[in-house]
Amino acid sequence: MSIAGWKRRATPTLLFSFGFSAVAVLFLLMMLVLFLWQSIPVWRHEGFGYLFGKQWFYRGQQFGALPMIYGTVVVAALALVMAALVGIGTAIFIAEFLPSRARLIVKIMVELLSGIPSVVYGLLGVLFLRNWVYAALAHFDPLSGDTLLTAALLLAVMILPTIMTLTDDALRGVPSAQRTAARGLGLTHTETILSVTLPQAAPGVLSAVLLGLGRALGETIAVFLVVGRQDNQWPSNLLSLRPLIESGQTLTSKLGGSETHIAYGDPLHWAAIVGLGLILLALTVAVTMTGIRLGTRKASDA
Amino acid sequence: MMLRSLRLPLLVSTLLAPLWTGAATLKINGSTTVNLPVAEAAEMLRAEQKMDIQVDTQGGSSGGISALGDGLVQIGMASKHLSDADRAKYPKVSFKEIHIGEDAVALVVSRDVWESGLRALTKEQVRDIYEGRVKNWKQVGGPDRRIAFFNKEPGRGTWEVFVHWLYGDPKKAPQVSLPEVGGNEESRNKVASTKGAVSQLSSSWANGKTVFALALKSEAGEAIEPTTENIATHKYPMSRPLFLLTNGEARDEAKVFVDFVLSERGQALVKKHGYLALEQLKK
Repeated sequence: MSIAGWKRRATPTLLFSFGFSAVAVLFLLMMLVLFLWQSIPVWRHEGFGYLFGKQWFYRGQQFGALPMIYGTVVVAALALVMAALVGIGTAIFIAEFLPSRARLIVKIMVELLSGIPSVVYGLLGVLFLRNWVYAALAHFDPLSGDTLLTAALLLAVMILPTIMTLTDDALRGVPSAQRTAARGLGLTHTETILSVTLPQAAPGVLSAVLLGLGRALGETIAVFLVVGRQDNQWPSNLLSLRPLIESGQTLTSKLGGSETHIAYGDPLHWAAIVGLGLILLALTVAVTMTGIRLGTRKASDA
Repeated sequence: MMLRSLRLPLLVSTLLAPLWTGAATLKINGSTTVNLPVAEAAEMLRAEQKMDIQVDTQGGSSGGISALGDGLVQIGMASKHLSDADRAKYPKVSFKEIHIGEDAVALVVSRDVWESGLRALTKEQVRDIYEGRVKNWKQVGGPDRRIAFFNKEPGRGTWEVFVHWLYGDPKKAPQVSLPEVGGNEESRNKVASTKGAVSQLSSSWANGKTVFALALKSEAGEAIEPTTENIATHKYPMSRPLFLLTNGEARDEAKVFVDFVLSERGQALVKKHGYLALEQLKK
């Protein structure tokens, strides 16, 4: 649009909405700049070893974040697989099979789950889930109930509403004329869902899953309470399932721990802690952006 | 949003508090160990003197020290002596330690370990377990089960007292990678619900029903339990003082509060929660 065009449109509405978006964008930029600036000492000290080092020992000034990145990725991915399976299944059921009133009731109930504060999930995790996991895995002799798997299970419940409700929206976004046409061609209800509705809604479903992943990456308190917070857990065999039933550390559980208090006042240690925030921010932004892009591509396709 | 550091909510609430509260709120933060009598004292003062008091346990002792150093609270709670490093971090703050009682750090174990008959460990055995050279209880006279050590997170008063006993100085503590626990509730809960578990815990929290305090064997082979008497005489090696911290002399509400905790009723609260009151130490 030309400058003249902008001028003609410079109504109060435009100015206000521009102002508010500018504030939001500015906040993100300021955070990025602050995190980058505050974490400079650790990049100088460790270089790329900060991202790929496997040893974190602050009293020895060793800062390698890889085990925490591993913890975050494993916990989030595991949670995502579980939540996506259940969430998409539920969404198909309520979008395609339930009458609209029942659909609303079920949907509201599931969405209420997302309103529960995460510390409540965390306490439920400490009181019940970690004991259940400990008992269920007794055969494999885990050291305790605080495992990556416990954290992933808890997270799966927490991100389920996001995935379920957005998938449901995506499915409902497929025009009903398409379903009618498919049924008219002789497809069964199941065939219609599998070969007409789901493929059409796929970009929306994918972005629902990615937004769920974004939430899983950033969740702190609930994970903090059940993940065990054990440093330097790098599996000797990346394909082994054994590390899943051992304690670990995620980026967020490290940030939520006491080290933030200790680090304060020591520029290098503080930079290492802020750097973890930067890594987490980068991971979350990347995932969320992908989610949004896939979501909008669907809109432009339609 | 991303960096949900525990410092942030405190900071924000402190910055915003003057916007809606007229009277000054007395803010207290720190050790979960000291918190027990302090929270109850606060409850009494709220009811009797209509004081506005907020007690938090974010970050344990080091959280209390940093919150006081940053001026976010008027009183800090600590279950260890302030180190020179703590003071050096806040050169403008003149920390004052107000001794309100005494406590000990116990090594607590889960029921299965206790029932195997294990009652005491030597310093060398504890060090071997902590550093991972001993991985099975069988090696120190317990049941045939892997040792699940829940390490109190660094920065907690309990942890500092423990490594001070083992290594003489927290800075000399070696690198260990153990699952970590925070507050006393979390430690007790996790030890109680895990087989072969052991953790450092304030001795008054060792209830003898779900978690059990081990004695420490001296070099002469004598098993010293964390009893009131052994703590008072410092015979039990991991005894530790409990402190309220202020910046300079306590003033206004803070002074009222400190005086109350040191009064007979306040000291009775210290005793009630299983710690040693000041008068018990004079013996």
